[in-house]
Amino acid sequence: MLIPPNQIKISLITAPEFNLEYLWWLTILFFVLAVIYFIGVFVIRNNINTNNHRTKDKKIEFSPMINEFLFFEDSNSKEEKMNYLNLKVTIRELIKNDFDRNVLTEVLLDLRKDLSGESQSVLIKLYKDLGLHHDAYKKIGSRKWQVVSSGIVELTTMEVDESYGLIIKFINHRQSTIRKQAEIAVVNLREEGIKYFLDNTKFKIAEWQQLKLLDVLRHKPNYTPPQFALWLTSTNTHVVLFSLRLIKYYSQNGAEQSIITLLKHKNRDIQAEAIECIKDFHFVSALTTLKLVYSKASHDIKIAILDAIGELGTIADVPFLENLQLTERHFNIKGKVIGTLNKIDPERIMPTKNISRSDFYKTEPNIDSHYVEDEVISESIIEEPLENIVVVSDEEIIIETVDVTDNGNGIVAAEEELKVAIIEEDCIENLEEQSDNIIDSTTINTEVVTNIDEIDLSFLPHVHHETEWVEKNKIEEEKLELKQHIDEELSIDFLPLVTAEIPIKAPVSTFTQEEFEPLFELDDDYSEHKKVIETAILNDVIPTKEIESIDWSSIIANNNLNTTIEVGDDLNPFDSLEENAVFVANFMPQEELDTMVLLENIAELGDCRELTILHEIANNNTSDLVIERANELITKFSYETPRPSELFSGENALAESVFTDIYNLADQETKLILLNEIKSIGDEKEIHLLESIIKTASEKLVEQATEALEYIKSQLEITEQPETETEERSLFEVDFELELNESIKRRIASNDNGSTLFDQLCSLSNSLYKKKNG
Amino acid sequence: MSKTVLLADDDQLLASLLNFRLKKGGYVVHHSANGKEVKEYLKNSMPDIIVSDIMMPYCSGIELIDYVRNELKSNTPIIIISSAGNEQNVLTAFELGANDFITKPVSPTELLVRIAREVEK
Repeated sequence: MLIPPNQIKISLITAPEFNLEYLWWLTILFFVLAVIYFIGVFVIRNNINTNNHRTKDKKIEFSPMINEFLFFEDSNSKEEKMNYLNLKVTIRELIKNDFDRNVLTEVLLDLRKDLSGESQSVLIKLYKDLGLHHDAYKKIGSRKWQVVSSGIVELTTMEVDESYGLIIKFINHRQSTIRKQAEIAVVNLREEGIKYFLDNTKFKIAEWQQLKLLDVLRHKPNYTPPQFALWLTSTNTHVVLFSLRLIKYYSQNGAEQSIITLLKHKNRDIQAEAIECIKDFHFVSALTTLKLVYSKASHDIKIAILDAIGELGTIADVPFLENLQLTERHFNIKGKVIGTLNKIDPERIMPTKNISRSDFYKTEPNIDSHYVEDEVISESIIEEPLENIVVVSDEEIIIETVDVTDNGNGIVAAEEELKVAIIEEDCIENLEEQSDNIIDSTTINTEVVTNIDEIDLSFLPHVHHETEWVEKNKIEEEKLELKQHIDEELSIDFLPLVTAEIPIKAPVSTFTQEEFEPLFELDDDYSEHKKVIETAILNDVIPTKEIESIDWSSIIANNNLNTTIEVGDDLNPFDSLEENAVFVANFMPQEELDTMVLLENIAELGDCRELTILHEIANNNTSDLVIERANELITKFSYETPRPSELFSGENALAESVFTDIYNLADQETKLILLNEIKSIGDEKEIHLLESIIKTASEKLVEQATEALEYIKSQLEITEQPETETEERSLFEVDFELELNESIKRRIASNDNGSTLFDQLCSLSNSLYKKKNG
Repeated sequence: MSKTVLLADDDQLLASLLNFRLKKGGYVVHHSANGKEVKEYLKNSMPDIIVSDIMMPYCSGIELIDYVRNELKSNTPIIIISSAGNEQNVLTAFELGANDFITKPVSPTELLVRIAREVEK
């Protein structure tokens, strides 16, 4: 019994009371619902199973009948024919039942998929004979889209072409499944179906749908495709695109101008498809439009256009591509441009990125053949361009240059480098002149050529002879390498300024090798220079006349060498330079240089233990410079610091001065400072030191020492006079109060470094310290 | 004496149709709907030719070829019918020793000719 809700008391403190009867009622309700559910599932499942079994049984029942129909032959026996007629009657009776009709339809549709050939045709005929297609018509009229769709599929599968008129209504159906089935049906059922479809479809044709339609067309027996170019003007872009694909598939190349026009279509897919068609049909006339469209095309289209140009293009399209190579910034497109260039003109552009220089491989000494090949190639490179390349731009031409080798005759290699550089400049000028001459010989207007230097032609692409483009590329690479090589080889900043000390008036040939004393030796560069240039001369790369025309004497004269060089008309100028040219300088011989280096090292690091070797050097050497330096060092290291007892003995007069030790261990500049200090603070103790300096030291020190000595002596005379007066006084008249005389006070006042000897020494050490620290 | 054909196919309709056609063509046809039945049959008797679908319950057509060639050591001609003309299936079938390969849709007449050719070999 249910309790009304208003009688249920709910306390906020105690748990609410719940009527158990109410709970039981709920349990029973859910149990009943569960039972109903399970019964429903069971019943439905049973029905499905029953239907399946019935269908299966029916199929088994229909199967032999269908077999009889399918494989009936006129040649059969009378019994078989009678059996066939009985079966026909039976089956017509059976199909009066809707279920049986559906099963039979299902069987025929299944078998249609598995059978081909004559059996298939018989099967379709049987389907129509039994009037099963009328059921499909009914399905088409259904409101349910899935039923409509299945009806269309059934009619399409059984090839009921009478249904064509019904199905075409669905090609613009809003339900995509119906629409797609209708499209396939229309195309499948009749040959003109594709035309109707292309004419009337307003919807998008998906890629997958296009493939299915194409598959339908492909499998249609004896199919004659229409001219799909008719639909290139369609307002439906998908129709245009599909038409282009059909044109390509059926190779209908009669619509050249229409396809070319489609290159300008706003739709990228159509553009791409048109390009594909142009490429497939090899429409060369499309090249102009392709180039026109290129500038405003998307990246994908640009690449497609370049691909098409690569297929169709000729050498005439190379300037366009070269321009693109310079202007294009997108990596992929630029790569494609280069690829296209090389496709049109194989190996026009050689790989340049991450390629090691030839020098990198020259470290392997055993690969002589490789060297020879390289040389041959480089020589041929030098030879070829002079004859064939038309140099339009004012690009710098750099000829094969040189490695300076050992100048065994003592000629300064650096000078040779300088000369080679000058020769190269001359040769470049000659090459340019020769190039201009070559241009004259071509079909280019002479006036244009002569004025070519006056006009800025940088905007123009480089024009090369068609057959020589590979060599031109190689030459350009070689030029770059050689330019770098020249920069490295001929940098002569390190060289000393060479001036002539001995004017040479006699002919150069009279000089002997001994008269030239090279300061340093360079590598085997000079002979290589010579060799390469000689090779160039032999190969007529540098015309002999051009070299002979060089004013060698003026080149040398510019170096202020005052040398007389005899350059005969028949004489190779390099030979004359090698044998006769003299570059005189008073360079120190290597042996003397080594000795000087040794002496400087001894001066810096040595002590009195090096005296023996210093004496040896002084005795054995003839060079004045070496002897002088050795004697200096001997003097320096010969001085021994006196012992304290010796220092204060009367015999060691030098020891009286506190400056003696410092002076003997100091360098020239320090000595000058010391002398200055002695002058300021010295007294009679420094007189002996100053006198010894005057006797032995150099002119500057002597001068300073003399000045200091005179000053000290004058000071001593001033101070001696009052002393003589005091001597005359009696002992008791002596003023014991310490009082400095005026001169001393003045000296102290004028001297910032202090008044006492200690102060003076401190200031001296400070000045020395300051000097040392700069 | 008429030749025996073992027809192994789980599709009842097609099997029935082919069975009908083969019988009409003069062959004695034994139909098996799955691999188990086929193996049971082959243990007891060897037909003159085997026509098998590639997709069958318990034992595929490929496994059947392997069974016949390697376990039964029989050179009985085998024709494989497949709904999918998968290249890999075709190659595998021929590698294992299939004599012929037909893809659906099948023309029963054509099959009959092929069977006749294989049997005559």
